[in-house]
Amino acid sequence: MPVTFTLNGQQRQFSGDPRASLLDALRRDFRLTGTKDVCGEGFCGACLVYIDGVPKVSCLLPIGALEGSKVTTIEGVGARETLTPVQQAFEDFDVVQCGMCFPGMVLTVTHFLQTNPRPSRDDVKSALVGNICRCTGYERIIDAVMSLHNSAEGPE
Amino acid sequence: MNTANTDDLFLRPVSVEAALAALGDQAVLVAGGTWVMRAPLRGESIDRVFVSLSGIAHMHAISHDTEFLRLGALVTHDGLGACTRNLPEMGALMQAATMSANPAIRSTATLGGNICAVGFPAADLVPALIALDARFEVQTQTGPETVNVATYLQSGAYRGGKEILTTILIPRQTGRSAHARALLRKAGEYPVANVSAFIGLNADNVIETVRIAVGALEATPKRWHGLETALKGLPFSTAAAEKAHDHLDEFAPRDSTDAPGWYRLRVLPGLVGQAFATIADHMLEGA
Repeated sequence: MPVTFTLNGQQRQFSGDPRASLLDALRRDFRLTGTKDVCGEGFCGACLVYIDGVPKVSCLLPIGALEGSKVTTIEGVGARETLTPVQQAFEDFDVVQCGMCFPGMVLTVTHFLQTNPRPSRDDVKSALVGNICRCTGYERIIDAVMSLHNSAEGPE
Repeated sequence: MNTANTDDLFLRPVSVEAALAALGDQAVLVAGGTWVMRAPLRGESIDRVFVSLSGIAHMHAISHDTEFLRLGALVTHDGLGACTRNLPEMGALMQAATMSANPAIRSTATLGGNICAVGFPAADLVPALIALDARFEVQTQTGPETVNVATYLQSGAYRGGKEILTTILIPRQTGRSAHARALLRKAGEYPVANVSAFIGLNADNVIETVRIAVGALEATPKRWHGLETALKGLPFSTAAAEKAHDHLDEFAPRDSTDAPGWYRLRVLPGLVGQAFATIADHMLEGA
């Protein structure tokens, strides 16, 4: 029996091996390559997605466990034509380097700001402990997040 | 992977009895999945039948009364951190749950998984459970059984794979506890060593009950009995932690790629000091 779940707002089915990771299914079967395959052991955060609104690493989730779940990838965040406030801030502060960590960074920060709208710089660092930037561009990433915290508009 | 009949590869029982019945030689229990899914990175096969426990409702439950804090084995690190926040003696468990790994892992990885992960020496929750004198309810093929944490660990995680750890019972007790961990970076990785301490004082501020557990140093976390004996009967102070230097010979620390054994041992007294300082702070706050 296929695994049925909601992916970026659409009901989808997966009929392959249910022990496969969600990461592999997203990239190979659903062609959603914004979710990045990097460390494969839950340390780097490049494969982060939302499961029922909670950030989780897709490399360690067997897709068989997701029956009935709501999965949101970077492709499902915000509207296709416009950037979210977090994405816009990252662009404004020119923080994207190689880009491998950024889908996960955007998802982590977006969720974090929903529950912590006025964080300290240390709060942001703690929130990003599971998102590794191999280009080591952390300070500008944090600058970008702090700019949202200071803006009247705030994150969506 | 074998994809001949996917229905037989991923089972989702809704009762412990059904999960037990599904446990064959080629089956592996899956809680949060964060350890099982990394099997290939450890050179282990993942080509086994997955028996997912997530559909067993009572294994997610949390409750407490004057006697015990009862935690279903599927409670996540996040859930554990939240439910222990206002229970003063559970400080070690609260800290261990909220400091380990990273936010995305803490929302997925479970208490039972941390206890039962085979070949995982650096669990943070297990030393905290030892310091808090936890008991485990285990469903075996012949019925339920309650075992002390130390007994369970001595007999090896899973104890043969034919049983299911369902509930963790932590006795409510008067005292304070704390957890300290040493990392090579500031956060986001496994500890080189960790220490959980529970301290109960009498009316004269003398240490009456003390349990200190050490993790990540050897293959399995264990009590630090020599240090406990040396501390019992002393007035509580952060300086008492200095006694740790005199009892390091109880350990045979493991060497691995992240840290040599001598380094793990060297950081240990400092961790005891940190745990004691946290307990002292909490006592002041609660005074």
